Amino acid sequence: MADVLGNFEQAVLLSVLRLGDEAYGRAIFNEVQARLDREVAAGAVHSTLNRLEGKGLLTSSMGPGTEVRAGRPRRYYKLSSTGRRALNDARSAVNNLWRGFRWPLKGRS
Amino acid sequence: MTSAMPPGWAEALLRLVLDSRDQASVSGDLLEEFRENIRPTLGPGAADRWYIRQVMGFVVRSTVVPALLFGGAFVARTALDWLQPPADFHTRSLISTLVAASILLVSGFYASWKNGTILAGGLSGIATTVLATLLSSIGALGLLVIRHDPATLQAIEASGGLGEVFFLPVMLIVPGVLLGTIGGAVGAVIHCRVRRCS
Repeated sequence: MADVLGNFEQAVLLSVLRLGDEAYGRAIFNEVQARLDREVAAGAVHSTLNRLEGKGLLTSSMGPGTEVRAGRPRRYYKLSSTGRRALNDARSAVNNLWRGFRWPLKGRS
Repeated sequence: MTSAMPPGWAEALLRLVLDSRDQASVSGDLLEEFRENIRPTLGPGAADRWYIRQVMGFVVRSTVVPALLFGGAFVARTALDWLQPPADFHTRSLISTLVAASILLVSGFYASWKNGTILAGGLSGIATTVLATLLSSIGALGLLVIRHDPATLQAIEASGGLGEVFFLPVMLIVPGVLLGTIGGAVGAVIHCRVRRCS
């Protein structure tokens, strides 16, 4: 089983997966904020992308810039097969933890 | 679409804390978001503040490890002096000075090795020292809350007093810049040799 992924790492990986060919820095940043429903720091997303790429869960390549970016290039990310496996493992771990419970939990705490 | 630009100094700061391979793409991401989303939604002043906040996040992330080490070493030295006061401070001073200098040199080296400029090392020295000052002040205050019996207060006076604990880290900012820059010079040279910069 791959390293256990944190929630934020899963949010970043799933955003990359969801965005497909449009998964570049700013798009991932906005997708993560939308999915987590809170403001996140661009630096947090960037350092997570770098860490996941370092672990081999993501690959990246450069794409052309646009006028609104003053011509600065975009870095596009793709999920690697290791990343896909890590997400499957993370989901499977959560499913195992919840097995036998009905969701949402009911009753007094 | 707007052609507005965020504060120039903040853009320059951002480029100094990024790995050379990410400088164009990450600054482009922030500029795109600034122009297309933040400025039209929040207005010019708040958009500039948003941009500066994002850049500060990058600065803190880039120096949090050396700052924690530096601040932690300072708090450890303070605790040792207060709780186990020595007859002679010379050895402890020598060791803690060497530890602090090593952290700043390595931090400057690493920043410039990634970034490719000597300036990144100097900036790392400032940011590390400022963050470490905050952390060590919080740590020293915590120690003072836990231990403030007469024997400890006497040990505090004997080790230079509270003034030294809270103001010494501030005085280390200038040496921090120098050491960060020295480490940065080595890091920038190695960066250029490895990545063949011009």
